Formats: sequence, structure tokens, C-alpha cells
Amino acid sequence: MGFDLDFAIATLPLILRALDMTLLVAVTSCIGAAAIGFNLEILRRAGGAFGLVVRFFIDFIRATPILVWLYCLYFILPFYGVRLSALTVGIAGLSLYYSGYLAEVFKAGIDAIPKGQAEAAQALGIGRRDTVIFVIAPQMLRNIAAPMGNYFVSILKATPYLAVLAVPEMLGEAFDIASDTYRYAEPLTVAGITFLALALIISRGVKWLEDRLATSSAR
Amino acid sequence: MDQSDKDTVVRIDALQKWYGAFHVLKDISLTVPRGARIVICGPSGSGKSSLIRCVNGLEAYQQGTIDLEGVRLGENAAQTTLARRKTGMVFQSFNLFPHLTVLANCTLALRRVSGMARGEADELASQYLEKVRIPEQAHKYPGQLSGGQQQRVAIARALCMNPRLMLFDEPTSALDPEMIKEVLDVITGLAKDGMTMLCVTHEMGFAREVADEVVFMDHGSIVEKAPPDQFFSQPCHPRAREFLNTLLH
Amino acid sequence: MTTLDIWLGILQGCRVTASVTLYALLFAVPFGLAFGIAQYLTTGLLRFLVTCVIEFWRSSAVIILLFVFYYALPVVGVTLSAMTVAAMVLGLNTGGYASQAVRAGLQTLDHGQKEAGQALGLSRTAILVLIELPQALLVMSPTFINLLIQLIKATSLVSLITLTDMTFRAKEISQVHYEPVPIYLSLLLAYFVLCYPITLFGRWVAQRVTPGREVRRGV
Repeated sequence: MGFDLDFAIATLPLILRALDMTLLVAVTSCIGAAAIGFNLEILRRAGGAFGLVVRFFIDFIRATPILVWLYCLYFILPFYGVRLSALTVGIAGLSLYYSGYLAEVFKAGIDAIPKGQAEAAQALGIGRRDTVIFVIAPQMLRNIAAPMGNYFVSILKATPYLAVLAVPEMLGEAFDIASDTYRYAEPLTVAGITFLALALIISRGVKWLEDRLATSSAR
Repeated sequence: MDQSDKDTVVRIDALQKWYGAFHVLKDISLTVPRGARIVICGPSGSGKSSLIRCVNGLEAYQQGTIDLEGVRLGENAAQTTLARRKTGMVFQSFNLFPHLTVLANCTLALRRVSGMARGEADELASQYLEKVRIPEQAHKYPGQLSGGQQQRVAIARALCMNPRLMLFDEPTSALDPEMIKEVLDVITGLAKDGMTMLCVTHEMGFAREVADEVVFMDHGSIVEKAPPDQFFSQPCHPRAREFLNTLLH
Repeated sequence: MTTLDIWLGILQGCRVTASVTLYALLFAVPFGLAFGIAQYLTTGLLRFLVTCVIEFWRSSAVIILLFVFYYALPVVGVTLSAMTVAAMVLGLNTGGYASQAVRAGLQTLDHGQKEAGQALGLSRTAILVLIELPQALLVMSPTFINLLIQLIKATSLVSLITLTDMTFRAKEISQVHYEPVPIYLSLLLAYFVLCYPITLFGRWVAQRVTPGREVRRGV
């Protein structure tokens, strides 16, 4: 049978049609994961019994596979009468799962700011809110920009997991073509190359950002 | 406010501080008159940094009082803020904000705390940068400067808020030897201009030249207080003698 | 169906999960070492080629790689068993990440180490094997342990290419008995039981190999 290059090229526009879905899932999940992760980290910092629960939750997420989390949400929620679209479940799953990773990013970002920064602001009479806005947050953002970018790439590479829930993102589209034409090799390869190209381009961007931040805060 | 308070910048009375069970400051009383230049020295762990950090409210204390020009620190939030604004603090490790330019480091508090307009703040900050002799670095980031330059920026940053009292917490101990002089020269210049200052330092040459009183602390107490000539030539307390010997040898 | 039955069912897949992990390590360890060292030592065109290979395995979405190699290789006349495909894809993907840890570990070593070796008259190979690698691998050991956890979690994907691992078994059971809640929660817990001890071990190792953090000098 062989690999039909013409057919492969013909599938490219069809698969790219699902690019917007892939990006939508990746961006929404990344924002969701950042929001949940930041709150988890703040709760963990508050300490106490609740802090321990959050700490364990983060550990638990990091010790279990994303695929199983997606199955859990997808099959368990309807059992309790919660009916959500596959897309919603997928985005919720990715957000929840990566929040455990992003919480660690925020932790490192905040920990890396020397204690003297807050003290210096305090000594100048700058208030708590202004200290967070003008002194702590900009430095935290600089610390987390690169790892956040890398996790965005990770989330992007995890979006094809949603194909198992039949969300029509790029891998799902490739499988649709495959089941219509009985040819799996070409659409899957095209989907793989497209994802690789996307991941490489975004990684490059992150690297560029990282270098720029490194030079502007030299030493 | 009684009459004598007019000439007193700081009055510390019977100050006590504990870190858990550890008694850091034991019954400290110290009065700093306007224009006074007091050097605090002592072995590490003697409580000198804690004392100076209490004076601008960076650290809490458990008993006693601190009044800055008659305004009591720790009485309530408004008074504390008012009292703190009378002080400027220079840290051992500079603590400049790395994401802001030298100029922005100096103007941040002017604009956010004093509500000054940008142009005015920039102009004022430039004057102080001139005073610490680095006006040409205004648009660089702290990371591009040497340690000595960074510490001078930190001094300018504190001066911008027009403090009545400058607090120096070992301002030269994080610096390479060749940079110590440029920072001490700036502080000496401030002293000559009549700035009231409380300075924790081990630079005894500087203390001898600039201070009008040396306070020696050990184990959380003030054990000796004397003019520099007397302190360096004939210290009364055996522990002060011991300390001076370790510095000399 | 009792909880015990569910656990026994899932446990049946544990052997496959373990086998995939072990076989994948047979790919990951040599690849990570060889390509990490190669990227460290080579320059110019050679380094570019090495980087391309690493990036292919590291930056591709592993779920798609799995499908591509499973469906596309037979088309071009290469037929591999599902187990081989799984071990190779998961292994080389993990190896790609490991190579970056190896290279980073070598690069961050104090330059004086290499110079001291040269001053003693050691050959380049001897310096690498006797001085640089032992230190780099030790420093990076927490990262390798983390990658092992990632690998175990990724093995859940092999259920999608017909291998009967824990995830496959759980899906199988839930198709016969409609009790998604206990089945999928048990599955989640099974991975946690497998991975969490490794997490704790990794933390213990990290504490031992990271020397007391040096005192920050402001700014």
C-alpha cells in the first residue's frame, strides 16, 4: 500500500481546520490551570490544616496520569447527574491537572524574591497593596514567564488526549479522516508533524522571551 | 511634647524584644538628639541590627517605647506610618528593586506614597543621585551597577523621602574592600550636612572620624556609650576591650 | 462487584504497566545518556543534527507518536508489536527529556572541574567519565526520578493501542459492570500508590544532593 504523500498533503487543510479548537482548548486550559494553581499556592502558603490538604492534593495530581483524570471526570460526573459537554470536561480536566504543576511554578516564583524586597518597600513606607503590585508581582511574573511558557507547550501537547473524549481537535479530526478513508498512516502523521511544528515554534518563542528577561535583569 | 523633645529625633525607652524564648534586646534606652551621629557596634548576635530594625518598624518589640519626633511607633497604624516616614533605611544587601531602573527605584515611594507627579519626582530623585555622585547611571538597572554604586543608589532612594533620621544597617559589609570607601564617603558627606544618623558598622576608622558617640552592644544590652576618642583609647568595659582587640588583630 | 474485585481486576494490568515501564527504560537510559553527552560535546552541524533528533522525540506529543508508530510503520513495511512500539515511543520521549537533564547537568558544572582534570593530564574521555558525569548525574538525580514518574504515568496511554495495562483493565471492567465511580477512583488510587513512594524517594534524594542553599546577597 505504501505511504501516499499526495493523500497526506490533501489531509493537511482538513486537519488544520481543527487548529482553532486545539488552540482554544490549550489557551483556556492554561488560563484555568494558572487561576486554580495560583489559588492553590496561596492557600498552601496560608498553612494550617487546609494548607496540608492542598499540599496533598497537589502531590496526588502529580502522581496520577492525566488520561485517568479525564476518564474519571468524563464517566463519573454523569453518574451523579452532572452532564457537561466533552469539551467542557476536557478543559476542566486539563485545567485541574496542570494546576498542580503551575502551583509549583508560582511557589518557585514567589520564593525566589528575596525577603529584603518587601522590607525595602516597607522601609520606604510603601503600602502592602502597592508593594505587591509594584515590587513583588513584576518580579514574580519575570520569574514565572519562562516556566509558564513551557507548561503552555505541555498543555498544548496534552490537548490530543481530548480525542479520547471525542472532542474534535486536531488528533480527533485525523481519526475522523482515518475512519472515513480506512487510511490511518497519513492523517496521523500529518497531525503529528503539525503538533511538532506548533510545539517547536512556541518553545522557540519561550526561549527568546527567557533570554530577553535574562539579559534585562543581568546578574 | 515637652521642650526637650524638639531637639530629640529618636527617644528609645526601656525597649525589650524576644524571639520566642531568646531575649534579643534587654532594656535598651537611647536618645538621639538632632544632628547626632551615633555608631552602634558589637559582636554579631549582639542585637544591634534588631535595634535599628525596630526603630523603623521593620520588627516588632514586646515592651518599651520608641518615639520619633514625639510620634510613637506601634501606637496605632496611622501613627506608625507617620513615624516610619521620618526614617530612611539602608540595608546591608542594598535591596534595590531589580526590575526598576535606578531612577524608578528612587521615585517609586515619591509617587506612590507622597503622590508626587512624575516630572517633579524625577527631578528630585536626580538631585539626590547627584548628591551620591552617580547621576549618569539613572537609567541603568541595578544589576548593571557595581556593589558600591548600588549601595549609593540605595542611599539616594532613602534620602528622596526626606527622612529626619537615616538608619544604616552594616551598609558596607556586603561590599568588596575597594568599594567601601566610596560608600563611606557619601555617608560622611551626609553627616557633614547635619543629617541625624544611626549606623551599625564595623568600620572603626569611619566611626572615629564621623561619630560623635559610639554605642557598644553585647548580648542584647548597651554596655558602653562614649565619645569615639574615649571608646577607642580607653574602653571601660572588658567586653568592649575584647571586641576592639579582635577587630585590630 | 466488590471493591476487592475491582482492585484484583486492575492489578491484573499491573504486570503490563510494569513491563512497559521497564522496557521503555531500556530505550530511555541509553538515549538520554548518549544524546545528552553528544549535545554537550559536539559543535556546529553535528550538534544541530543531535539536537534535531532530541527535539523530535522530546517536542512531539507522545500520544500522537504512539498512534503514528502503531498505525504508520506497518504501512511502510515495518511491523512491530504493540509492546515494542509502546516501549520505544515512551522510552525515547522520556530519553529526550533525560538528555536535556544530562546536558544541563554537565553544562552547569564548575568549569574548574574540567580544567583540574586537564591539569592532571587526564584524557577528555577520562575527564568526562571520571569527573564530569558522576557529578552531573548526581546533581540531576531528582530530575531523573521525576522523569520516571512521568514515564509510569504515560504508560496509561498504551491502553489506547490494545495493551492490557491497568487503565485498559479498568475500562474493560467498567464496560461489563456499570460502576464508573469505584472503578475509576480505584484506578486513580492505583497509580498514586505506584508513583507516590517514588515522589517521596525523589524528595529525599533531592534533600541529600542539594547542598544548603547559599545565602542570598540581596537584589
